Amino acid sequence: MHKKVIIKRLPTGVPGLDELLGGGIPEFSFNLLAGTPGSGKTTLAHQIMFSLSNPERRALFFTVLGEPPLKMLRYQQQFPFFDITKVNQSIRFVNLASDLLEGDFERVLARIAAEVQDFSPSLVFVDSFRSVVQSAKAMDAGASGLQHFVQHLGMQMTSWQATTFLIGEYLAPEAESSPVFTVADGILWMSQLVHRDAMVRKIQVVKMRGQAQSLGVHTFRIGDEGVEIFPRAVLKAGTTEPLQISGDQRMSMGVPKLDQMMGGGLPVGYSLLLVGPSGSGKTVLATQFLAEGVRAGEPGVIAAFEKSPNQLLSHQLNAMVKNGDVGVINTRTLDLSIDEILHDLVAMIIRMKAKRVVIDSLSGFELALASVFREDFRESLYRMIAVLTGMGVTVLMTAELEDRYTVLRFSSYGNAFLADAIIMQRYVELEGQFKRVISVVKVRGSDHSKDIRFFDIARDSIAIGETLTQYQGILSGQPTSSLHPDPR
Amino acid sequence: MIRIVIMRRPDAIGDVTLQLWERLASELTSIIGDGGFQSLYARSVHLARVTFPWIVLNQPAMPTVAVFANLKKCLEERDSTLACEASITLLNIFIDILILLIGELLTTSILRSAWGDDAVNIAGTELQ
Repeated sequence: MHKKVIIKRLPTGVPGLDELLGGGIPEFSFNLLAGTPGSGKTTLAHQIMFSLSNPERRALFFTVLGEPPLKMLRYQQQFPFFDITKVNQSIRFVNLASDLLEGDFERVLARIAAEVQDFSPSLVFVDSFRSVVQSAKAMDAGASGLQHFVQHLGMQMTSWQATTFLIGEYLAPEAESSPVFTVADGILWMSQLVHRDAMVRKIQVVKMRGQAQSLGVHTFRIGDEGVEIFPRAVLKAGTTEPLQISGDQRMSMGVPKLDQMMGGGLPVGYSLLLVGPSGSGKTVLATQFLAEGVRAGEPGVIAAFEKSPNQLLSHQLNAMVKNGDVGVINTRTLDLSIDEILHDLVAMIIRMKAKRVVIDSLSGFELALASVFREDFRESLYRMIAVLTGMGVTVLMTAELEDRYTVLRFSSYGNAFLADAIIMQRYVELEGQFKRVISVVKVRGSDHSKDIRFFDIARDSIAIGETLTQYQGILSGQPTSSLHPDPR
Repeated sequence: MIRIVIMRRPDAIGDVTLQLWERLASELTSIIGDGGFQSLYARSVHLARVTFPWIVLNQPAMPTVAVFANLKKCLEERDSTLACEASITLLNIFIDILILLIGELLTTSILRSAWGDDAVNIAGTELQ
């Protein structure tokens, strides 16, 4: 007889939200959807309501003084989740404006109670709750009246076995809202941020009683389908089987001589940074990496940020994409969050059972992000690589390296340390020509060649040539032959 | 459909119209509020007055009960055929605007709640 109460979690039907909430909305909970104007509160509420409601689980949606209900119905029905057949059957909209105009909380409470009694809903929404707050301020009842109202409503709704959502417009957490914040079992905070012309929407589960919510601020998007949340990527301990990266298991780069230089290929589960100046053949090598995977029965995914689809797809890559061996994530919009890209990447990796992932290139990737995220690019990249390698895939990232012959850098972000292996390509001037050279700079936990070798790009292939042992000052970009010293 | 209901008792045009409006208002006001309903009604009267300039314009902030009482009164002052046409036109305009704003499906659903199953085809047939 010591059974504890088990709180049922209701799946919200909003992509990504349940993950944030720790499984769903707790049944009979009293929640606050708060945020800045236009941040998508009503859309989120409607999406949850239409997803959860059915003849056995009915919903009441109270509108107060906020957005005119006529407009709300007009615009919200543009979303596919707005199922009109549910309106008046499973969902009822009720306007409380006239009750609130009198300014009497008791009257509003009584009206809500009467409607709830009449319709027996399992879900209750009050939009916009802010109107009630403002009305309270204008009246003598003030904050204490509001506290009474909220506490009473919270108690009433839980007793009526209704899961409740108060929707409120707040610019920032305010003192007056504290009673609401205290009484609420769950608080979802939504905001939108404009930074250098790019707008980013964010959502945060500030509080969710009784369950472990996902902390932090997450990005979301309101698209044709409604709200889609991209939970901030964090590697969760214990969610995947312990991953063994031994370094013994190697995968071929598709260029045998390069495999030799790396000590037998790239260790599985490693992240490789391929750096080089523009035109040095990074994408060609990345394509070889994917093509070798296809030959070995390992599907791949390429996230292409550098070029438009037509430019990107070399004949070889195009064929692989057409055959379904390689998936492409192609985006050139400039308002993405790293979690949004990662969300797409992870989905495609799982769908294709991909083993190899190419990100081409980090510079393009950084550009594709909304400017506000660029400041945290290093940290975000760290999280992303952790998630991808945590899935057991091997990642190849290309990075454009400005050829400064006086400085040796492997990445413009100071994030070379994120990579388990680094391959460098660069140009040297020799006998009146730009020659390409390649070198393996780092393979964590493995022997590798220290040679700097010539290489050439033919159509869809890379040919590694001789070492430059007889030259000195290669990294200066103007090597001289030690056999025939420069007469200068 | 509206025509059928109204023409069933042309001699009682005032009462029939009043009943239709009261039921519609009751349903619609609970969803879009009294303010929302009154602004739609005022717009409909404005448009209907192009053909029936004698339909009474109401003062702002007048209670819905008084608005409908005014409508009933001005219909009853006219010849019943003319009053029927005016009543039908006003309701049709109102429903047209509602369809334009919130769509036919939702409008039909509201009309059904207001007037019962007789209303099912009103939006679809009467207003084409």
